[in-house]
Amino acid sequence: MSRLDWFVLGGALLFVVLWGLYKGRGATTGEGYIGGGRDHRWWLIGLSIIATQTSAITFLSTPGQAYVDGMRFVQFYFGLPLAAIVLSITAIPLYHRLKVSTAYEILEARFDLKTRLLAAILFLIQRSLAVGITIFAPALVLSVLLGWSIHANILLVGTLVMIYTVVGGTKAVAWAHSSQMLIIAFGMILAGVMTAHRLPAHVSFGDALHVAGGLGRLNIIDTHFDPNNRYNIWSGFIGGFFLMLSYFGTDQSQVQRYLAGSSITQSRLGLLLNAMIKVPMQFLILLLGALVFVFYQFHTPPLFFNPGPVKQVMAGPDAAAYRAIEGDFVKAREAQYQRAEAYVTARHGGDAGAIAATKLQLQQAHADSETVRKKGVALIEKANPGTNPSDTNYIFLAYVLSVLPAGLVGLVIAAVFSGSMSSMSGEISALGATTVVDLWRRLIGGSQGVREVWVGRIATFAWGCFAMAFAEYAARLGSLIEAVNILGSLFYGTILGIFITAFYVKRVRGGAAFYAALVAEAGVLVCFKVTRISFLWYNVIGCLAVVGLAYGFSLFQAPGAPSQGAGDGFKVALPGSLEP
Amino acid sequence: MPMSEERPPILGSWKRLYAVVLGELVLCILCFRVFTWVFS
Repeated sequence: MSRLDWFVLGGALLFVVLWGLYKGRGATTGEGYIGGGRDHRWWLIGLSIIATQTSAITFLSTPGQAYVDGMRFVQFYFGLPLAAIVLSITAIPLYHRLKVSTAYEILEARFDLKTRLLAAILFLIQRSLAVGITIFAPALVLSVLLGWSIHANILLVGTLVMIYTVVGGTKAVAWAHSSQMLIIAFGMILAGVMTAHRLPAHVSFGDALHVAGGLGRLNIIDTHFDPNNRYNIWSGFIGGFFLMLSYFGTDQSQVQRYLAGSSITQSRLGLLLNAMIKVPMQFLILLLGALVFVFYQFHTPPLFFNPGPVKQVMAGPDAAAYRAIEGDFVKAREAQYQRAEAYVTARHGGDAGAIAATKLQLQQAHADSETVRKKGVALIEKANPGTNPSDTNYIFLAYVLSVLPAGLVGLVIAAVFSGSMSSMSGEISALGATTVVDLWRRLIGGSQGVREVWVGRIATFAWGCFAMAFAEYAARLGSLIEAVNILGSLFYGTILGIFITAFYVKRVRGGAAFYAALVAEAGVLVCFKVTRISFLWYNVIGCLAVVGLAYGFSLFQAPGAPSQGAGDGFKVALPGSLEP
Repeated sequence: MPMSEERPPILGSWKRLYAVVLGELVLCILCFRVFTWVFS
């Protein structure tokens, strides 16, 4: 990195921290600290929701996903607008009317304390583990590609986030999110423009898209139904809908963002802003990855973008074999480059026969170079047993470091840091809020004055430290990291099922919902261990299992027995059409 | 007027706003379909 890169990176991070501290000053009550003063406008809510959802790995992994697999990943988000509309109609008015600070409070009003605590604790478990991975994953990529210490990286991100999150609470988090989104948008747009600009002069944008499409990188929509296939339109709509419904409706890291709205209208508009931006945003990030793929049709890429495992091979007995494969790979890519040039030339000539023939030759050359690459990856796997041989997360940043100009490299790395910080701040703020409201305030009976601000700060600080400690530990988890990454889907279905039962199934009372949730969660974990069902479907399975079991258990409840804790407040707060 | 009945600042009703959100999703999917068809 050049001095200019360091200047841009340092300036951007300093700006985020100071902006968050400045805008978040002045919280004097627990409600002000946790609720952000409940005066946020729709655009601030929308940016904060997007920023919390957008982690650094979004920018590192998503372009790499398009490079390796094409753009079908965008289908993952198709359920989001539907979920946002459902929540806008149902959950947001309910949360506002009951004036809750966390999503789990309403479960006590509807069921009982133990169901509220179960949901809150499930959230604390899955979110506290996930936030560690949120900062570990980009720290790992930056340490491998830039040689930075992974421990220093985790410490830097964690410390910067905690400065403004612990001091300013929800308001500081939201305003810091707005500045982080600015850095992220600016960095990614400039990276996209520069990538298009760095293509050979005779390759137009249209040519680039035809090359990417010809090699299967623009396969956005897949209508084939397959429950084992992670990304198709059905898993996106159905599994994605349940996941997003749970994430935005019951995950405190998101609920806290729109509960800070000054009114139902502002909260709704913020959530809908996210619903309208997310799909096009993911499309553009994936398109950036497809353009990087095209760039490497005209330039030779490394055989494997992650240099760490390659070093292991080069230090072992297969070093000579790997070098030979690298030589074959360069030759294969040279042939592929010639075919790509021929295809573009044929396209400019306009002869349909020549275009079809050269496209076929390009596809064959690509298949040949992939065959050589797989031989190299096999050696990498052999030298690094038990590790994931994927280099998807390294492709984009390796490209940025080797191709983009000074200044822009610093800006893209600032965007990566911003992504890491934005999700961590939203998450530890929510963990702190849940600890204070659902545990400290409810079980110990603390007041909502200035003392609660300090309890909130201590809880947020403690969760931040836990996240950093788990991020350090994550380096030793190996392939378990993937399991942690899908942790959300292991718990979201159950939590969503509890909420849907609360909203829609009138006859179910506290005990039935609680035990149904325990059995359903056990069922989801069994599915995870013994089946190959794609993780998005766990959200559907967990949710339907809770609703079905809770209804079944309720048939054995004594008729007319009042539900412990089921107050009138919940019934009054429900919209008429949803009243249980 | 209850809080949930407040009109959105644009389009006059929430139903219309929700229709726009859904419409944008449908438009995106159609564009993606065309995009896939044209370039693949």
